[in-house]
Amino acid sequence: MMGVVCVYAYNIPEGKSGQQVVDSLQKQMDIIGATKTGNFCVDCETYQSHPQNAQQRSIHILHNSEQPATCFSVLDSGTVLVSDMLFDLIMNTMTQAKSGREGFFQQRKGFKIESRGQRYELADFVIKIGSVSLMANFKGVLIEVEYCPSQVPGDCWNLMKEILQSIVGNTADTPPSYIKTKMDSLYTPADTINQYLEHFNAFRKTATPGQQNR
Amino acid sequence: MDQMISKVSKFAPTNEFLLQGSIMENAHDVLLHRLRGLCDNSDSPFETFTDNEMIFSMKNTTITQALNLRVRHSLIEQDSWQVRYAGMAEMGDKNRPTMVRHVIDCSTSDNIVLFLNELGFRMDHEFVIKGFYFHKGRMKVTVSKIYKMNQPGNTENLEPFSTSSLVELSVVTQQSGGEGIAEDMKSFSEQLKPLVQLEKVDHRRLQNI
Repeated sequence: MMGVVCVYAYNIPEGKSGQQVVDSLQKQMDIIGATKTGNFCVDCETYQSHPQNAQQRSIHILHNSEQPATCFSVLDSGTVLVSDMLFDLIMNTMTQAKSGREGFFQQRKGFKIESRGQRYELADFVIKIGSVSLMANFKGVLIEVEYCPSQVPGDCWNLMKEILQSIVGNTADTPPSYIKTKMDSLYTPADTINQYLEHFNAFRKTATPGQQNR
Repeated sequence: MDQMISKVSKFAPTNEFLLQGSIMENAHDVLLHRLRGLCDNSDSPFETFTDNEMIFSMKNTTITQALNLRVRHSLIEQDSWQVRYAGMAEMGDKNRPTMVRHVIDCSTSDNIVLFLNELGFRMDHEFVIKGFYFHKGRMKVTVSKIYKMNQPGNTENLEPFSTSSLVELSVVTQQSGGEGIAEDMKSFSEQLKPLVQLEKVDHRRLQNI
């Protein structure tokens, strides 16, 4: 069972480093009385069809430590396949070059991205502060807040807004764009994955200082 | 991801030991009772299954050797969907009692068919398979009949391929840890003789028929 999750990018103030921002957010969690409950990680790899395939697709393969035995595969068409971790092996089979022939899919180099950090619990909320890195380059900070007792975003948005605004400020005046279309539907773990993917795609487009954008 | 793959592939059950055979209609019930007596849970009723299996394949102009994935959908437990990759079964030499093949079984959400179509896979063929399954320790035995679907997508309008049933004995293990299992399977299959002759079947020869 899971609740409703909202994920926001934290605006890093000018002149501050990512680490400083994470430190001050963690301090804030201590002040509001949240308890540390370990680490979390959401990771994403991207694959592309072999140029000769009839169908040209990007596939994003994501994992979330909150659902440790699950693999999420998201197509650029929007279809999300939720499956066992063994799908990683099937993807590997489709990617592998075999006896001289190429694979049907290729892993996109330099696209591995993840959000990793501390997980907190505060009464009915789970809060995660993640630093995002693309191939070990720091890209930004993502804040995830989950309200566990509800399954419909529209029912709990006003409540979530209050805690979210106290952490990420007025970015949280409106629900995350992905959630806006789902206010009345049942929330699922795949919705969390889609929110992370939206942020990951945006981070991939931003240039890292001192490094060429790919 | 690469770390993930090596971790998953080390612990995931992906090594299948397999023996196959068939049984005529008139001896079918005798075999079922024999298996019930030999296998675990002999006092419970027969466990049955009815699955729709769809074989999806992908190839392109430069990669002509197709990659096949088999989707199984239970028609009894309608929420159950699985996708399986099965490598070529290795016969091994005469001393090896069973075939061995690399398999990846993966439970998925119900949109797997849409997902594979969007990825560029095309359905090659499909059939319905009905039968009984038994287990003894980690060995699995299925006795099943394959049905042709007269209309694509219609799992009601069926026609049996043959009056005989397929008998399969298999064990899926991790990459290491399969020692001795093939011997256990061999001795189990001895107990089913002369009803069924479970053997290694060279699949490469079947493809040329």
